[in-house]
Amino acid sequence: MMIRIGTYFDLILLIVLVAASWYYMNKALRGEKLPGLRKIPAIDAIMEGVGRSIEANKPVHYAMGASGGQLYSTLVSMTLTAIAMLRHISRLCARLGARLIVHMPYQAESIPLIEATAREGYLEEGKPEMFRLEDLRYYGQGSLTWSQGITSSFAQEGVGLNLEVGIFYSDCPISLEMAKIMGGLNVGGTGRWIMVYAFAMMCDYVFLGEEIYAAGAIVSENPLMMSGIIIEEVGKFFVFLLIAIGLILAAIGLDMGTIFSY
Amino acid sequence: MSFTRRELPTIILTACGVLMLLAFFTPFVAFTTIKGTLTAWTIVISATSTWLGFAYMSYAQYRMLQRNPVLTQKIYFVTPFAFFLLFLVVGVSFPGDVSSPQYLWLLSSIYQQVGATVYAVMFFTLASSAYRTFTVASTEAVALLLGGTIYMLRQIPLFPAFAPWLVPLGEWILLVPNVGGGRGAVICAALAALVVGIRTLWGREITMVEV
Repeated sequence: MMIRIGTYFDLILLIVLVAASWYYMNKALRGEKLPGLRKIPAIDAIMEGVGRSIEANKPVHYAMGASGGQLYSTLVSMTLTAIAMLRHISRLCARLGARLIVHMPYQAESIPLIEATAREGYLEEGKPEMFRLEDLRYYGQGSLTWSQGITSSFAQEGVGLNLEVGIFYSDCPISLEMAKIMGGLNVGGTGRWIMVYAFAMMCDYVFLGEEIYAAGAIVSENPLMMSGIIIEEVGKFFVFLLIAIGLILAAIGLDMGTIFSY
Repeated sequence: MSFTRRELPTIILTACGVLMLLAFFTPFVAFTTIKGTLTAWTIVISATSTWLGFAYMSYAQYRMLQRNPVLTQKIYFVTPFAFFLLFLVVGVSFPGDVSSPQYLWLLSSIYQQVGATVYAVMFFTLASSAYRTFTVASTEAVALLLGGTIYMLRQIPLFPAFAPWLVPLGEWILLVPNVGGGRGAVICAALAALVVGIRTLWGREITMVEV
């Protein structure tokens, strides 16, 4: 057997998504029109927050989670989305003249990617002199030190906008609420469903679950990235189809679980 | 320059990704071995890059001290290095290294206690945010308040004794709307993550290729 037993369904799903990716990415590369995307209020709130930070003379804080720098786990796509958002916020801060403090995750191997992205944002806006290396903060191993570091930064330096996008565990309830107590505007979200509650409770504007991926694509202003959202919709229709098939099979007494065990 | 900065990393990334996929989908031992080797490398990379993080932390501390050379800032500057040295010296000086009773004492009496204190703060942050969230300001807030209140009352033994219907209702909220909504969200997030993964392997993810 060429295919491992138990992975047939995964392979079919992968083939469907690869085929959809090939079709829609080529379409985007040819410059053809893609379906429109609805507005996500949290994206507009980022601009509002940066403006508010400048008015109050307080820094903008960006965090991708204490363990948000995972480059070789199943959560790597969230890290990449957080990097896309970092690029957006650094460009915005450079353009409008706000100070940006980046609270880096404890996975130090992601530091070069984070620094290069933040620096690139300033370069793209033609203001490389505004980039300050000391505003990239590293707090060592573990979420404990990260939570202490970010909250002490809020207390010492103030907070205008606190943008948190990425992989979050139990670190976000502390950082988000502390930013709120310090008078900051909280915007953020995570793809980890189990922690979405904290963002829904503590953020003024929230990216709910998969919205972080959509937001990452929208802020990139790149048609290739935006085509990803259409590809995801294809995947959703495939899942709907599976649910419908499952319902029919269950109605006639067949167990779908047995079929997908292959 | 462009090849080493853009094409080469993309080629390495795609090759590693394809090997991982082959190890997952095929039963061949060769791919499983390669996957094991690559996974072991990630531990090496992670361990060595910790020093990079230390360099960044030291630089940020030094620059902050330069900008604001007051006593408080000097204390902030010295404290992390003092504890770093303390843990390092104790960790290498006693028999058993990081398993020595002296090091374990430091770990359990200082590090874990500070950790517990920080996490205790979460109680206050959750309480204050829950108060704000449950303020009835919209229809959605009413739904949240009702759902939350019913489930909370179901968890307190006193209330089901007087109102037994709280038990099945609380269970229904937990197992039907909660699980249904949660599964929908997880499937959508997983699909979005898959798309980002495919785009990365294809070399089309701009966060990876434009830097």
